[in-house]
Amino acid sequence: MDDSRKRFIFIEAVLAIMVLVLAVVMLKEQRGEAKRKVSVIVQDSDNSQWSAFRYGLKMAAEDQGIEVFVVSTGDGMTVDEEIDAVKYEINHGADAIIVQPVSGTDMEGKLKKLEKKVPVMLVGNTASHDRDSSKLPTTEPDNYAMGQAVAEELLADYNGNLKGKAIGIVTADGGSESAVSRRKGFQEVLEGSGADIAWSLHGFFGDSEQGSLKNQPRADIVVALDDASLTAAGEYSAAKDLHGALLYGIGNSTEAVYYLDTGIVECLVVPDEFSAGYQSLTEVAKSLQGYFHKMQDTMLSYTVLRKEELFTEKNQEILFTMSQ
Amino acid sequence: METKRLESTKKLKPRGMQSTIMLAFSVISVSIMLILGIVMYMKFSALSQHEIVQNTKKLMEQTGENLEDYLVSMRQVSDAVYYNVIKENDFSGQNNNIQQGMNLIYEANRNALRSIAIYNNYGSLMAAEPIALQKEDINVTRQDWYGQAMEEMENMHFSTPHIQNLFDDATRRYYWVISLSRVVELTENGNPLYGVLLVDMDYSSISRMMKQINASNNEQYYYLCDSNGQIIYHMRQMQISNGISDESSKAAARYRDGVYDETFEGEHRKLIVRNISYTGWKLVGVIPDSAFTHGMLNIKYFIVMLILLMAMMLAVIHRVVSERISSPILKLNDSVMEYEAGEKPEIYIGGSQEIRHLGHSIQRSYEQIDILMQKIVLEQNERRKSELDALQSQINPHFLYNALDSITWMVEGERNDDAVFMISELAKLFRISLSKGRTVISVQDELQHAKSYMNIQKIRYKNCFSIVFDVDAEVYSYCCVKLVLQPILENAINYGVDSMDDCGEIIVAGRKKDGNIILSVTDNGIGIPEDEIGFLLTDSDRVHKHGSGVGLVNVNNRIQILFGKEYGLAVESELDEGTTVSICIPAVPYTEENRKVLEKGHIYGREE
Repeated sequence: MDDSRKRFIFIEAVLAIMVLVLAVVMLKEQRGEAKRKVSVIVQDSDNSQWSAFRYGLKMAAEDQGIEVFVVSTGDGMTVDEEIDAVKYEINHGADAIIVQPVSGTDMEGKLKKLEKKVPVMLVGNTASHDRDSSKLPTTEPDNYAMGQAVAEELLADYNGNLKGKAIGIVTADGGSESAVSRRKGFQEVLEGSGADIAWSLHGFFGDSEQGSLKNQPRADIVVALDDASLTAAGEYSAAKDLHGALLYGIGNSTEAVYYLDTGIVECLVVPDEFSAGYQSLTEVAKSLQGYFHKMQDTMLSYTVLRKEELFTEKNQEILFTMSQ
Repeated sequence: METKRLESTKKLKPRGMQSTIMLAFSVISVSIMLILGIVMYMKFSALSQHEIVQNTKKLMEQTGENLEDYLVSMRQVSDAVYYNVIKENDFSGQNNNIQQGMNLIYEANRNALRSIAIYNNYGSLMAAEPIALQKEDINVTRQDWYGQAMEEMENMHFSTPHIQNLFDDATRRYYWVISLSRVVELTENGNPLYGVLLVDMDYSSISRMMKQINASNNEQYYYLCDSNGQIIYHMRQMQISNGISDESSKAAARYRDGVYDETFEGEHRKLIVRNISYTGWKLVGVIPDSAFTHGMLNIKYFIVMLILLMAMMLAVIHRVVSERISSPILKLNDSVMEYEAGEKPEIYIGGSQEIRHLGHSIQRSYEQIDILMQKIVLEQNERRKSELDALQSQINPHFLYNALDSITWMVEGERNDDAVFMISELAKLFRISLSKGRTVISVQDELQHAKSYMNIQKIRYKNCFSIVFDVDAEVYSYCCVKLVLQPILENAINYGVDSMDDCGEIIVAGRKKDGNIILSVTDNGIGIPEDEIGFLLTDSDRVHKHGSGVGLVNVNNRIQILFGKEYGLAVESELDEGTTVSICIPAVPYTEENRKVLEKGHIYGREE
């Protein structure tokens, strides 16, 4: 075979390969790339406290071209239930998991094992009790600062003097890192103010336990450090079951805002749940798109709401995200 | 270094004709295809851009009309409440009529309405539908919609979306509404007073319309803003509010209806603006350049695919065409090269008319060259033959002169027997000399000729020398050039033994050695000085002193003409000892065929 023929066959072969590659690319383009799927597991997922978070997820999903699926869950999940839910999602095609870890033994270790399969992003709080030793990326509000903010607002209302005031603290999951941080921040600011932490209540506020908050000793001020406990306390207060105690707290549902709007809650600290949803999913999307991207911790801001400022333009946007 | 230079020279050597044609075709085709591809892409791109812009405009026109219809319907609701309910009734005694009238209108439009409410000029609620408990401590006069209505009493005012902050909702929900407010004239206890009629439109109706047109997957999108650039709907409203994203709504709000180019955050894009009647709102369509590119991606692939397929096809066509064009020329070239290599192929005649003509011309040229070559060879042979003949003819008169001189001398001396003997030897000599005009004879004949000659010479020189023939019988039957011994013998007599008194001796020897025949003539004469020997075979002018003028040069030339330069004479001599002249010729058996070959001038043993 002479050189000219060899060269001709080589050119034809190269052109044919290019046509084939192009045809494959065209077919791929026409079919469109399958969207990556991210599953989100948070406790009591249908609760209105997740509205802004869900809206944030939805917006990030649209921006990043990702399919997001919020797993339907109830409240009071155990570590094993949550881990099972995560495994189920991974086995059913989830490319990444966003999870609000419940407090329990070796939650972080179990999630860390699952992280080897797919990227895992925590929201709300870390899986370990010690935030600094957390090994998994976390998108969370500044829990400690929010606890401080509640205390500062309280002090401001009392001109810094809480001497003789009995304070009751309510949290839904006292063992979680977020609850511990919030409580720590709250208590640190109140140190030296003369306030007396009369009691602390941790747990759920279902029918069987309804009496528990009602039966607490009388407190001048009740501080609810999460949305579930704030709405529960609000409900008690609306029913005049809080013995006239003033209610302060942290919440992110329209119910919590309603209690502020109706004067049941004096001051509400609202974590930026829209950003929690948006940024956690954006970070996960970056990790899925870039193999070498290492997901980062994100600390989110919060807003202090007072009744009189509830309908300012900026605060209306917070309400907007909660109402989605 | 040298090798590299050679390699580079090789690389620089001219390309083959087929490669050149194919390369030229390919370069032209690829250039044309690329230009066509780019032009096609640009044309398609412009068309596509135009089409996308037109489609966007149509879609925006449709959506704008829908929005206007919706807003008109809200105005109609407001008008209906005002003219059919408020104006017709007194708030002091006809509350039921008012409530019923409002209820009817609300129910008819409840999908798009959140609530209808009437406030007096102090901001007190006069009536509301659906009936709801007003929030405590609410002061509507501080709310924007109320202020706007009171500020421009003759107009209707559309607010930007906001949270409705009027009623206590038992479901603990907050609604995102757009307020349509206007100042109305109420009648209470027969007294006219001003109030504000508020129609809160459900934001979801507008957002649903906007979501529908934003549902497409391409990168273009639509948003709604008021005349100040305040965003009413944007699919990334919260991202913009949180600073994650941005929008040029302030600039867009200043545009009239039309299509505008802008560069926003480093990206060029087209803005299509449509004004929404009654409100001053702007419906803005945004088409980033990437949306055009996205739409063009398939066309780009298609064009590249087309170019590649055309390139493949053209490569085949070019190959066929170049082969068809170059093949006859290459075949012609091959046959010419074969001809040049010494073969005698048929010159290729084929292909197009021009190539055929060329083939014919080359063939004719080669035929003419062949004829000319043969002519030249013939002429050359003739020349050689005539030269040989001329050389031979130089001998005959000279010898004849000597022989006749001797016979004359014998007759004069009345030595008749000797004269008879000499004449008879002369006759033999001439018989061989003539040899029917042949130039090649057998060694035997040549020796006989030499003997006759020597017999004549012996008589002439009165037997003052002796002659001995010592020739192997086996050499007799080989070819020899005619009359080569005679001049040597003549020289041997003249220069060797002539001056010696009865003791001169000449020995003629003949041997076959290494495929050659060596004939030698040895005399014991005075010898030849060493410096003379060199000229004996080269300079014919120097040996004419005593002889016939035909010397060793003559003999040497004749032998070399017939047998080649490697044959001829060799002279060995020593002063006062004698001289030996050897003839070296190839041992060619004397046959008729060999003789003819030699006489034709073909050198024996060489390839023709």
